[in-house]
Amino acid sequence: MKTATRVLAKDLWLPYETDRLTPREAAHLARRAGFGADWSEIQAAVDLAFFDVVDGLLTAGENAELDQQSQAMKAVIQAGNLPVQLPAWWLYRLQQTASQAREKLVIFWHGHFATSAAKVNSAFPMLAQNETIRQFALEPFEQMVIAISRDPAMLLYLDSATNRRNNPNENYARELMELFCLGIGNYTEHDVRELSRAFTGWEIVRGQFTFNQFQHDPTPKNLLGKAGIESGEEAIAWIVTRPAAARFVAQKLYRFYVSDLAPDPRLLEPLANCLRENQFAIRPVLRMIFTSRLFFSDLAYAKKIRSPVELAIGLLRCIGGSTSPTQLSSSLAELGQSLFYPPNVKGWDGGMRWINSTTMIGRINLVTEILTNAQTNFVGGRNRLDRRFDVSSAADAVQRVEMIWCAQPLEDSHRRKLIDIVERTVTRRDGKLLCAFKALATTAEFQLG
Amino acid sequence: MFVNRRRFLAGSAAAVVASTSVVPRIWGAANRRATRSAGDRVLVVIQLSGGNDGLNTVIPYGDDAYHRNRFAVRIGQREVLKIDDYLGWHPSLRGFENMQQAGNLCVVQGVGYPNPNRSHFESMDIWHSALLTPPHRTGWIGRCFDGQADQTSANLAPGLHLGDEPLPLAMTGLNIMVPSLKSIESLRVAADETVRTALDEIDETLETKDELIDFLIQARRTALAANRRLEALGGAQDVPRVYPRTELARKLALVSKLIGIDFGPRVYYVSLGSFDTHSQQANAHAALLAELAGAVAAFHGDLESSGRHDQVRTICFSEFGRRVKENGSAGTDHGTAAPLFVAGSNLAKTAGKYPSLTDLVDGDLVFNVDFRSVYATLLEQWLEIDSQPILGAKFDTLGLLS
Repeated sequence: MKTATRVLAKDLWLPYETDRLTPREAAHLARRAGFGADWSEIQAAVDLAFFDVVDGLLTAGENAELDQQSQAMKAVIQAGNLPVQLPAWWLYRLQQTASQAREKLVIFWHGHFATSAAKVNSAFPMLAQNETIRQFALEPFEQMVIAISRDPAMLLYLDSATNRRNNPNENYARELMELFCLGIGNYTEHDVRELSRAFTGWEIVRGQFTFNQFQHDPTPKNLLGKAGIESGEEAIAWIVTRPAAARFVAQKLYRFYVSDLAPDPRLLEPLANCLRENQFAIRPVLRMIFTSRLFFSDLAYAKKIRSPVELAIGLLRCIGGSTSPTQLSSSLAELGQSLFYPPNVKGWDGGMRWINSTTMIGRINLVTEILTNAQTNFVGGRNRLDRRFDVSSAADAVQRVEMIWCAQPLEDSHRRKLIDIVERTVTRRDGKLLCAFKALATTAEFQLG
Repeated sequence: MFVNRRRFLAGSAAAVVASTSVVPRIWGAANRRATRSAGDRVLVVIQLSGGNDGLNTVIPYGDDAYHRNRFAVRIGQREVLKIDDYLGWHPSLRGFENMQQAGNLCVVQGVGYPNPNRSHFESMDIWHSALLTPPHRTGWIGRCFDGQADQTSANLAPGLHLGDEPLPLAMTGLNIMVPSLKSIESLRVAADETVRTALDEIDETLETKDELIDFLIQARRTALAANRRLEALGGAQDVPRVYPRTELARKLALVSKLIGIDFGPRVYYVSLGSFDTHSQQANAHAALLAELAGAVAAFHGDLESSGRHDQVRTICFSEFGRRVKENGSAGTDHGTAAPLFVAGSNLAKTAGKYPSLTDLVDGDLVFNVDFRSVYATLLEQWLEIDSQPILGAKFDTLGLLS
């Protein structure tokens, strides 16, 4: 870190001093805490006190109607045991949710405790895990880790369900320390073997977690420098209180919410402390992030490449639209993010790893497809979009997209060129705003959120 | 790397494609160096993701220790395709057996590295970067590209990744970005006038201030360049009948097609997996090995019939092998050393020594051949590049490319 930043490392986490957010700041907060806000939502946010906007995001409940629809769709998927429809189920929910911040955090944990329906191959445990994560998303981490360690989908995914006393299976034990709690380098091969013994006998019987004492190895384990650990629960309690655990989770949250670029470790220490001081509860640490100076600085603006889900759901939320979740699901799979189907136990790498030649073209095509598809509906109708966004010229349209979508202002020459392209290619059917979105979607900075 | 001309076929398809105006300058630049030609050697990398169980791939069926440690996943004397009275191929590997007998496949035994890491991700990074300790920023192939990068023409590297997983670290360099395609169709741009106009008219300048935006600008250029180049190829590509109907075969058929038209890349990269068989290993592993051997045999057969067999070498590696003793789930846990395969013409049948099944460290095999020696061999003797700057040290080469 540069000297100037080092001096400021602690101060960067102090509260951002403002009463009201500017439209640009409100759009940034909406994109990162959730997926995005449309023009009217941004207008509403700038009239509220800053802290109230953040607290509103972090405490918003789900709307009852969506919960009911969601249950009904789940019942259909479970009855037919159709895991391939799981992504569409979640994508519908993401388009409609009143609790964007919670859903975004559920995606974070889904990538963190990555479990794929490709191996589990059954809809019920995948949906049950999704509910477990949603329930514990903002709660203390230890509760989440225990719930996940007993979660049937996870036990099936990492072969923990067949972890037997005489012949332990190391898969879950290794990933728990490497990917879920501590990170590489913070445990030894010996710890992997000891921890796998602590989890022997954690089985699935008729789809439910069961502790089989006859398959459990009760002899004491020596784990991460502590002797005499017996059960899996004791092991988890010990692991999540290791100093590395708070650092590890803080670093993952930072990467997910603040920046794709690795920070100086010292920048993470205040976040890790916030976790430790709050018994590892997640809500306070998110509040600390979203109210910080750092979050509204160049360390955060435009420092995230949108995930495919963030790109598609963000676009729909920003223009007040909705589209066929089934179609969206297959497009997003092409771009490398199929919800419920993470590529491996490490989840999605994210950041620059989202981008390659296929996905770069695919992202441009996806935006075009969403905006021009007959199945996409817009609040008030397609032909009222320009009026809803106060757009009367190509210049208005480009500026509006810049305001609600772009993480940093466009260069003047770049903006002029885009306005020119919109003027030349706009059609009566699409209108100026959609045309501006399509033109901007071909640029590199469109991918930054 | 790419200045070594092997053979020059005048009037080849490459020359025709390269001269058409749709080809962006950056491709032209590579061609104009008069170095890339039909005779240029190609390396194909097949990654077996997840940790292939080497012991059940090239099976020491003649060793009591194998039978003592494995019950549920054991493959017995009657099933193996015998190589000699100690080793045999997994029964799914008939294609490899035939290739080896014809001198078209070499098994390098017991490949690994010191202080083996049993994390998929760390060990994969070690293989990709060819560095035993972090940071793993660039890959061994990417560094070859960097050494040859033409800074003025920027962009389209002489490598191509086929697949929907992220671009492999192995192919990542500092100066150059390698295209990564799922399929040829995946690079088509929607027929929308606004989009096409914007893609044609907007070419952002690299700011070299912001890492992410510069990366995205370069990725956009790479994608558009590949898109324009592939438009010259025409419609969808059918997979020839000689290939099995598997995903790996589909990818290798496309590689063969691209080599056949002298598309350009010197290194192609594809993946197969997951080989992470912790549980109920037998069927999953048999299916993966069948897909591997079927596709590789068809690919090299195809190259042979099109007269390009001497031009291509294929390497198949995995991030680690698996533990000697099976676990309680009829599977195997992460291990260490494993065999690696090199396919092509005129190869030695085998290199290196099979690891001892009794002289173990932490229950795992001890490697005999450092994987960086395999890289050094391919770099020095196949791509004819000095391996020392790429690998950071001098490694012995192996006598596998006879």
